[in-house]
Amino acid sequence: MSLLNSIIVLDIIAGVLAVVLVLANRTLVQYDDVTLDVNDGEEEFTVEGGSTLLEGLIENEVYIPSACGGQGSCGYCTVNVKEGGGPVLPTEEPMLSREQLMEGTRLACQVKVRNDIEVEIEDKYLRIQKYRAEVIKTVDVTPSIVEITFDLKEPETIDFKAGQYVQMQVPTDSGTIDRAYSIASEESMTDKLTLNVQLVEGGVGSTYIHSLEVGDEVEFTGPYGDFVIQDSDKDIIGLAAGVGLAPFRSIVFSLFSEEYTTDREVWLFFGARYKDDMYYKEKFERLEEEHDNFHYVPVRSVPDPDWEGEVGHNTDIVGDYLGEESEKEVYLCGPPPMMQQAIDIFTEEFDVLEEDILFDDFY
Amino acid sequence: MKLLSILIAAIFAHNIALRYFLGWCPLVSQSKKLSSAWGMGVAVTLVMTVTSVLNWPIYHYLLVPFGLEYLQYIAFIIVIASSVQVLEMAIERFFPSLYTTMGVFLPLITVNCAILGVSLFMILRDYTFLTGLVYALGSGIGWTVAIISLASIREKLRFAKVPKPLQGPGITMLIAGIMAFAFLGFSGMVGIE
Amino acid sequence: MNNTTEIFVNGLWRDNPVFRQILGLCITLAITNRVVNGVTMGVAVFFVLVASSFIVSVIGEYVPRRVRIPVYMLIIATFVTLVYMFLRAYFTGLSQALGAYVGLIITNCIILGRLESFSSENGPWESVVDAAGISAGFAAALIAMSVVRELLGFGTLFGINVLGSGWTPWVSMILAPGGFLVLGLLVWIERSISPVEEG
Repeated sequence: MSLLNSIIVLDIIAGVLAVVLVLANRTLVQYDDVTLDVNDGEEEFTVEGGSTLLEGLIENEVYIPSACGGQGSCGYCTVNVKEGGGPVLPTEEPMLSREQLMEGTRLACQVKVRNDIEVEIEDKYLRIQKYRAEVIKTVDVTPSIVEITFDLKEPETIDFKAGQYVQMQVPTDSGTIDRAYSIASEESMTDKLTLNVQLVEGGVGSTYIHSLEVGDEVEFTGPYGDFVIQDSDKDIIGLAAGVGLAPFRSIVFSLFSEEYTTDREVWLFFGARYKDDMYYKEKFERLEEEHDNFHYVPVRSVPDPDWEGEVGHNTDIVGDYLGEESEKEVYLCGPPPMMQQAIDIFTEEFDVLEEDILFDDFY
Repeated sequence: MKLLSILIAAIFAHNIALRYFLGWCPLVSQSKKLSSAWGMGVAVTLVMTVTSVLNWPIYHYLLVPFGLEYLQYIAFIIVIASSVQVLEMAIERFFPSLYTTMGVFLPLITVNCAILGVSLFMILRDYTFLTGLVYALGSGIGWTVAIISLASIREKLRFAKVPKPLQGPGITMLIAGIMAFAFLGFSGMVGIE
Repeated sequence: MNNTTEIFVNGLWRDNPVFRQILGLCITLAITNRVVNGVTMGVAVFFVLVASSFIVSVIGEYVPRRVRIPVYMLIIATFVTLVYMFLRAYFTGLSQALGAYVGLIITNCIILGRLESFSSENGPWESVVDAAGISAGFAAALIAMSVVRELLGFGTLFGINVLGSGWTPWVSMILAPGGFLVLGLLVWIERSISPVEEG
């Protein structure tokens, strides 16, 4: 009884206050979303106008130091504001030296974002960073695809979501160029990074990577991309072909790792042409045996006589495996014709909404 | 008469900052400049008064009748946190000029222990609504007196040669200690009960 | 594991909340006139910070921005209420000595600061380690303060007479001015040992 009372009373207080806050927010605050530009376009976020700069940064996973919870007491959360920060507030002045004031340094917890704003933030606080790494292993997993693993030197760890990619800096005669490759290693392995790279005839990036040997040093930036598992409880349907398997290796082994096991149904349809192109087969089959909710379906378009699995393209056979009742999220990575076909099949035959179909585009 | 003595006691003899040590994080960080000290002091006084006006009826008409006195911390803190936010939004909208001088200090106040402390002391000492109001007002003024005095002294110290490790918080604490000695002198003057 | 030790040591010494960040002063000043109060408060803050860090690291990302601070305060207040009820039930004397200051743990900006800057972005394990380090640092500061103040102010430690009957207690040590002076001196000493880097 007393428990019920306390819940009711607390709810009354909290409820009334919440209503007041929401009303005040409606009537008193009139700001639109604004753009927060970091380091001259290196990153660009949309934040709710009227919030503080610190809140805007934290919301976008840029964690600059702060100790006092935005109370203006510790003076840790300094940020250089290049434009749009408004005048220096009296709450900041005591915390900033004369040099800092001249340079445009501000306390992020005090600056309110009311219009578009440009700031400078040290690279180490940004999620996207430049990495230096050393090749520690190369394996030819198919005649044309190499699995290459790097040990991260500087910074020593990377924080990424399975399915994201990095931009390799490829040296050429006329300076370096960037080439994007999906991360194939799982999220929990943060001190190393594995890529799958297919040799493309005349391709600058793939030729460079295939030429790398153990001990060579490379540079890359990342992680980028939003080809990542969405937060929902829908079934995860993955369709991959060729080197498009790379992000799925990361995704699947992150969904079923030592630290974390998903309880969503996960399907992986992998299409390859010849026997030699069927890489990581044993790895996925072993995982399939360990987990009831992971299903791996390899498909061969040019089967040998002894091939016992599915034949054709992976888009041809998904209908034999998937029911129509459960809600699905579809993830695609492969050649453009496969992706187009898959989109048609899933939107028409399985009534999957377009926003529930994600694809990795730079195949 | 009783109200007057409560007011005086709250400002001097029972100064919330110098006798009960409340609200020191902003006292150290915002007392470098006299102008910030004023803004902070006014903001604290305003919020202190408003929140004790809200908290008193909540305690006596909601918590006590249901025997839920132990919920006072939770109830008080949500009242403080939300009224600070509403006040800030209102001032920003209707008094833009006041906002730059005083309003910007409001967000610093949510976790100012002086605010919660005054509400708790008010309940602990069984004040009536009116006494509580006067006590909160007096405490706010007392806190303002403390920060203004501290800021004035620190402005004078700006060109003094303070040993490096003692600069900033260290010397501020020593000054506060000496101020606290001075305020001890008010002890015999008025009682607060 | 290396990382774990580093997070912990940071909290204890390099980022010591009281001497370094000058946070959480109200409690530090108010209840350190006896060592037993200092220890109790240290343990209480340890419990509240570790527990609420854990909760925030788990639910942090689901809390909408506008109500984040109130929600954090609510979580902290819940644990503080638990501490208060526990103290009142089993340690009545202590609970009276600490009075309203137990409630003021809620507004200790160390706790809110940790939740905002660390727990909301890190996993439960790191958050708990960080919280443990920071609150150990806070407890260490409380104990250091209270040892000096009780020794000089009463001539005792944990209520046991240490300095003998010939000692004339420095009464001002246990009154308000003593708190400020001792804290000022300890900050001075700490910063002489390891100077603050130029910002």
